[in-house]
Amino acid sequence: MTRLKKLLPHIVLMAYLLVILFPFLFVLFSSVKKDNNAIALNPFGIPKQFALGNYVEAWVNAKISTYFFNSLYISILSAVVSILIAAMFAFAITRMRHFKISALLSGLILVGMLIPNNALMLPIYLLVRKLGILDTHLALIIPYIANALPFSVIILAAFMRSLPGEIEEAAVMDGLKAQGIFARIVVPLTVPAMVTVFIVNFLGNWNEFLLANYFLSNDSLRTLPVGMVQFRDQYQMNYAQMSAGIVYSVVPVIVIYAILQEKIIEGVTAGSVKG
Amino acid sequence: MNKALKNPALYVLFILPCLILFAMFFLYPIVSSIRFSLTSWNGVSSDPKFIGFDNFVKALTEKRFWTAVRNNGYFILFSCGIQVPLIVFFSLLIAHVKKLKGLYKTAVFLPSIMSTAVIGILWGFIYEPNIGLLNNILKVFGIEPLYWLSDEKYAMLSILITNAWQWTGFYIVMVLAAIISIPRELDEAAAIDGATAVQRAFSITLPLIKPIISVVIMLSIAGAMKAADIVIVMTKGGPAGSTDVMATYMIKYAITNFKYGYGNSISVLIFVFTLILTALYQLLIARRSERIEY
Amino acid sequence: MKMKRSLMLLISLCFAASLALSGCGSDNKSAGETGGGSSGTEPKTEEAQKAEPFELTLRHTQVGQDKEKRFAILQDVVKKTEGEIEGLTFKLDGVESDVNRKEKLRGEMAAGNPPDIFDLFGSPDSKVYAKEGKLLDLTPIIEELGIKDKFSSLEPFTYEGKVYGLPIGGSGEGFFYNKEYYDKKGWAPPKTFAELEEQLAAIKADGKVPMAAASKAGWVPLMLTNHLWSRYAGPDITNKFATGEAKWNDPNMVKAFAKHKEWVDKGYFKKGELGFEYAEYTTQFTSGEAILMYDGTWKSSVFKQGESGEGMIGKVGFFNLPPVDGGVGDQTALMRDVNNGYGFSSAVAKDPRKLEAVKAFIKNMFNEEMQIRGLVEDGVLPAMKLDASVLESSITDDLMKQIVDVLNTAQSSFPAFDSLVQADVTTEISNIQIQKLIGNQTTPEKMGEALQKAQEEANSLEE
Repeated sequence: MTRLKKLLPHIVLMAYLLVILFPFLFVLFSSVKKDNNAIALNPFGIPKQFALGNYVEAWVNAKISTYFFNSLYISILSAVVSILIAAMFAFAITRMRHFKISALLSGLILVGMLIPNNALMLPIYLLVRKLGILDTHLALIIPYIANALPFSVIILAAFMRSLPGEIEEAAVMDGLKAQGIFARIVVPLTVPAMVTVFIVNFLGNWNEFLLANYFLSNDSLRTLPVGMVQFRDQYQMNYAQMSAGIVYSVVPVIVIYAILQEKIIEGVTAGSVKG
Repeated sequence: MNKALKNPALYVLFILPCLILFAMFFLYPIVSSIRFSLTSWNGVSSDPKFIGFDNFVKALTEKRFWTAVRNNGYFILFSCGIQVPLIVFFSLLIAHVKKLKGLYKTAVFLPSIMSTAVIGILWGFIYEPNIGLLNNILKVFGIEPLYWLSDEKYAMLSILITNAWQWTGFYIVMVLAAIISIPRELDEAAAIDGATAVQRAFSITLPLIKPIISVVIMLSIAGAMKAADIVIVMTKGGPAGSTDVMATYMIKYAITNFKYGYGNSISVLIFVFTLILTALYQLLIARRSERIEY
Repeated sequence: MKMKRSLMLLISLCFAASLALSGCGSDNKSAGETGGGSSGTEPKTEEAQKAEPFELTLRHTQVGQDKEKRFAILQDVVKKTEGEIEGLTFKLDGVESDVNRKEKLRGEMAAGNPPDIFDLFGSPDSKVYAKEGKLLDLTPIIEELGIKDKFSSLEPFTYEGKVYGLPIGGSGEGFFYNKEYYDKKGWAPPKTFAELEEQLAAIKADGKVPMAAASKAGWVPLMLTNHLWSRYAGPDITNKFATGEAKWNDPNMVKAFAKHKEWVDKGYFKKGELGFEYAEYTTQFTSGEAILMYDGTWKSSVFKQGESGEGMIGKVGFFNLPPVDGGVGDQTALMRDVNNGYGFSSAVAKDPRKLEAVKAFIKNMFNEEMQIRGLVEDGVLPAMKLDASVLESSITDDLMKQIVDVLNTAQSSFPAFDSLVQADVTTEISNIQIQKLIGNQTTPEKMGEALQKAQEEANSLEE
């Protein structure tokens, strides 16, 4: 009886895991089946014959490598730059002695968290086109940097506020100026919070679809989510090949996740809890 | 000795990059949206014509706009009414078990790091009527195939399920972190007093994690108002506009239909609705949960 | 959490601040966007320009397996043009046709940065863009090249007497049918509407899918609906909606909608059609699952060596929608247009080298040889007038012969509805109404009324 009691939660949780993981398995199995017919005949199981040709064709047709590297560099660059800008801002409003303006500014940035940025897509589109960067990677990078600012500022400011005041007082005595205090003292101490913010920003950029879909039209510039949707629309009738495409786009993320999972979970959730 | 940190020029230098970007990508778009929402601009011509509040009148009397609003509402209801209880339930379970905790945590979180677009594609395949996973499962039980994404009855539900599948794990991990941070002594003392696990969950854990649940609700509402990519990828708002949300409705009008002005009036409305919801949330939920501190 | 108390105050502050900002922003619709027309001259010397490599972006819609042939033709033209103009490289960008037309190009036009050369839909799109000066006036170029009178019709691409685009090919629409199945049944293509319906019922009874269907994008089922209403209410009725001379809820229109719905209700279309993309349409037919497929003549390219419908070569036929009893007007009419082609950005005019390259592209793309290649390799009907004997000798394919035959027997033709009504109305019918009809969420009568309402709104905006 007690044994069953102990097992019951595991049974329920395993059922939930099945729901989470089975779709991935389904796609994985389908990706090595010959065609739609083979999927239909044996939907659940491991195929008897492995058709690895799907992977070759998906790689060629879907240009995964191009999309993958576009996504990677845009996401990293934007995340890093927005952290830098946000850290400067957070430093100024938490550690510099202009309290009244700082309170006002931090409130202003907080409002940014409330603004549903999808709703602003149209004016941002106009803005990006006025800047003359439509259909270049900058059309994504700059909005991504800007979009991540409110969240980054809030987390970094909260963290910097919690730093003890003595450290920098000592630094001032040593003759460091504000920029010195920022670069040599505050930034190194803020690294843990920055990792959190980086992961959140990176994932947000990596997965972003709307802007990437409408602001870029050149195929060689596309990011992974848009490239995948386009690939799906063109090859929808061939589910086996499409599954191979999905596997390509999912595997790198899973690998990164497997390596960094502790950091990622910690980062993402710590961020939301504090906010 | 505070001089170094008082230098106004440096202060300005530090805040300027952020403020400029903020003004460009948050303030200016709002103002621009409001301005164009009062015109009948088609997005191409060089002189937008001022038409007052006609766009808003049109939107608010348009049945299809309200369908989109309703669908955003479904997103909120589904996440608060169905997802949140599930999240709490699974978090309590995972916190309760001693073995495999790490595995559960890692696995449930997995969908949240995937791109919504890719998840939309993946689930599109699962919902596929002829060879998709779901209908194959139904077939085992002798149920006729359902047309998940092409039948108005199920299309919205299908999207909501996919959305829940993606995000439930994310919130579970968040709530789990809050549960684990509760001091052990409280729970242990109650256990010694003879309270069962279920009783303890209700009387000790739940009240203590109320603040985080309130955050989950806020994030769900924010997520619901933003939802667009999953709809575009899975149904493009179809069949017959039945799964459009406000954001996709806006895009459809502004770009596909040469109605940039009207599209902007929708974006203003999205903004207004979000403000109202946030205010409501502050009044109804945040206030109450603030009382509990731990 | 405490911070949020001051939010409301800040929001109002925020708006005040941005209102100030908007003052500066309000003159932003000026230069740059108007873009068109001005033939700016570059102060560079001739020699320096020659040495410098330059790029032309070309947006095409030849993506996916079924359009490989068409893509090959385009690539040949591109190569030839690159060879002729020193320093020129084309940057090809393929986008799915409907996405290009309805999202990409419209967005880019609004942004003022369309590609240099792009796939363009004639009417009504090119008129909207031409009106705003976004398109390059091609009249002088085609006059210079002497091809102005070679086209069978430039009407869809003409605005205020000037030509802004060139049709690459023509198309017609009708039923493709599985000949093998028809032969087995001992059937011939139906001569009367009753005969068609008998065949549909018989196919259904046979356990096959009578007609392929993929209605995620509304234009696919609407090809057939358009033909049906042109039978019931007359081929010219669609012309009259925008002028208010005819109404969408005309009883004859409703009859056509009702017929489409009746066929849906009887299960004559592939089930779950609202969830399928156009790509799947062909697969239903080529796999033998569906016996009929209502589609444009462009689809004939699929039934060629090396294409997805290879297995059906020689087993596919084509017929026109049979006459409807009591129908209005010419009962042999079918949809035929030359609405697909290429347009060029007005910005090209600012750069003499680009203009030269565009001229070479036009010369290499729009000529008899390419038209015949399009016809023979790809099944695209010529958009230019060709010598009858050349035409005769170049068609060897049975299906193509049958198609040409069907087109020649039709006494008249009508353009597709979406080239005749405003974009709003097109969206209403293709995104909403037809899907509702198929999904059993509306009645033919209500559909007619809703469309008429959208039409009247669109008409009133135009004045």
